[in-house]
Amino acid sequence: MNRSRSQQIVYWSLVILTLLTLSAPTFVVLGASFTSGNIIQFPPDGFSLKWYAAIIGEQNLRDAFGRSLIVAIICVLVSLPTGTLAGIALSKFRIRGANAIQVYLLLPFTIPLIGSGIGLMLAFGDAGLLGNLWPIGIATAVINLPFMIWAVSSSAVGLDPDLELAAQSCGAGPVQTFFSVTLPAVVPGVITGSLLMFILSLNEFLVSLLLVDARIVTLPVQIYNSIRSIITPDLAAVSVVFIVVAMLAIAALDKLVGLEIFLKSK
Amino acid sequence: MNTNAIPAQTPAVSASNVAMQFSDLMAVKDANFELENGRFLTILGPSGSGKTTLLRMIAGFLKPTQGQIFINGKEVNAVAPNKRSVGMVFQKLALFPHMTAAQNVAFPLKMRRFDAKKIPARVLEFLNLVRLDGLENRRMNELSGGQQQRVAIARALVFEPDLLLLDEPLAALDRKLREEMQLEFRRIQKELGVTTINVTHDQREALVVSDQIIVMDNGEIQQDASPTQMYRTPHNPFVANFIGVTNLFDGKLMSASAEGAEVHVGDLTLSGILRSSSDASVLGSQARCAVRAEQIRIAAAPDALGTLDLTFQGVVKDVIFEGERLLYELSVPELGDEPVRIFHHDQNDFATHDVGETVHIGWMNRDLHIFVAS
Repeated sequence: MNRSRSQQIVYWSLVILTLLTLSAPTFVVLGASFTSGNIIQFPPDGFSLKWYAAIIGEQNLRDAFGRSLIVAIICVLVSLPTGTLAGIALSKFRIRGANAIQVYLLLPFTIPLIGSGIGLMLAFGDAGLLGNLWPIGIATAVINLPFMIWAVSSSAVGLDPDLELAAQSCGAGPVQTFFSVTLPAVVPGVITGSLLMFILSLNEFLVSLLLVDARIVTLPVQIYNSIRSIITPDLAAVSVVFIVVAMLAIAALDKLVGLEIFLKSK
Repeated sequence: MNTNAIPAQTPAVSASNVAMQFSDLMAVKDANFELENGRFLTILGPSGSGKTTLLRMIAGFLKPTQGQIFINGKEVNAVAPNKRSVGMVFQKLALFPHMTAAQNVAFPLKMRRFDAKKIPARVLEFLNLVRLDGLENRRMNELSGGQQQRVAIARALVFEPDLLLLDEPLAALDRKLREEMQLEFRRIQKELGVTTINVTHDQREALVVSDQIIVMDNGEIQQDASPTQMYRTPHNPFVANFIGVTNLFDGKLMSASAEGAEVHVGDLTLSGILRSSSDASVLGSQARCAVRAEQIRIAAAPDALGTLDLTFQGVVKDVIFEGERLLYELSVPELGDEPVRIFHHDQNDFATHDVGETVHIGWMNRDLHIFVAS
């Protein structure tokens, strides 16, 4: 492409401005976490790793982080089979009322989180399940399931229907066809969706807030509780840990399936 | 007579009054045919003619709404595709993208529970058969179009099916590779002797590779014959026009007998051979005459034509160079408004007629096919 110099300047200015805006909060938190002072501020006052040492030493935060990991793992375990099957079914079969089912499955996404949170709180409360960690994992799976379905069906839409017929003519029964041909074809979508679910569940705040009690707070809730008392730079350090976990997940995605497939999905 | 005895000549495949209806569309109507063991059948027709639907019923992906399909004398209507001994090469090949060439070929053996110890040797044998030795560990995206075709053939044949189905697998290839693969299909089919049904819209391919051709149009079988029969004695105007380049003239049937028939086209009387199988050859009814483009001779002077039964004068409207031959389009007022198309092959007499030139044409009565509208 042959663009004039002034055009190039405009384009690049826009790109840089966008990147700066998008990443500004990250840089602020990152900077603030390295402060050597005792108040959270940007630019930081000096440089030190003492707040990282502080959060490692803090039992509450470590336990909350561990609980958040458990919640995220349960969320993935629940959403992986359900979301994968739903995603494949919705894109493969011409089901009567497929659109209605799709809308229904995407519903959690359109309801305000506070609404679904209260609903889940009442339901789990009635069933006497509150106070456990696993209902939180299920709750985060329910509210984020549309992401899993969306990732899998975008993989399954590109699936050549003849592939399954070919497997049948090779002698494969329905179950063998699913595991040897259909599932491998949607693996990129399954990996993308699972990592997405993991991150979303790990970070989930509002619904967790309604479902936890003092003994089982997850990390985002723990941070929120701390903000309400005194804001110290250790919160910035915890946020950086969050960001690093998310970036590791993205890096894993890139390594496993390549980011193109993630960016391509509709 | 013992009704349980299977006749010695049980056809490998046969269809009896097979029909397929999709909601309001009859994709296949009342199809009947038989295919002998070890023969190569091509189902030929334009897109939408029902040829792929018929093939998919034979594969077992679709269940006929009417009639029965037999493989080796056994009715298979209710037999699932994975329980039939049928190998298939798909139009878009449908190779498993997450497997190597060898894994693709081994897949049917695993699914059909072959002795696991014998699988690697069998896979290599079939990769050799399709001349892919040395490429067994390539993935599908590392193979060329022609190589992928060969993997698909090996995968369809490796379990030695009773029947091989080809669903236009060559349609997407460029002409040179397509012609090479046509001969390759023919070679492998002859080598293994496997009964084969091929679907295509390419009349040249049908003539080159087949022992038997079924021409379909509009869901109906138009003719079932050998390639030479199909070419020399088409049953109806559709077949005459679909295979080869054919000139059609409409008129009225004036006389009909075993030796020949006469048709009035405008002020002319054309003589030819009656091809309609129907007995409804009522004198005076509508008739179509067909003459193939290569059976009309063309020359500048009438005496250069040689002995012909019928000659005309015409004016050259267009000359199309097709490499090994020329296609002339002529205006012949006596034969109606449609241009008359003529192939010209004479090596010593190439491109001697220019646009606008008056020329002489003619044909033998035995080359004129007459069809009566039923």
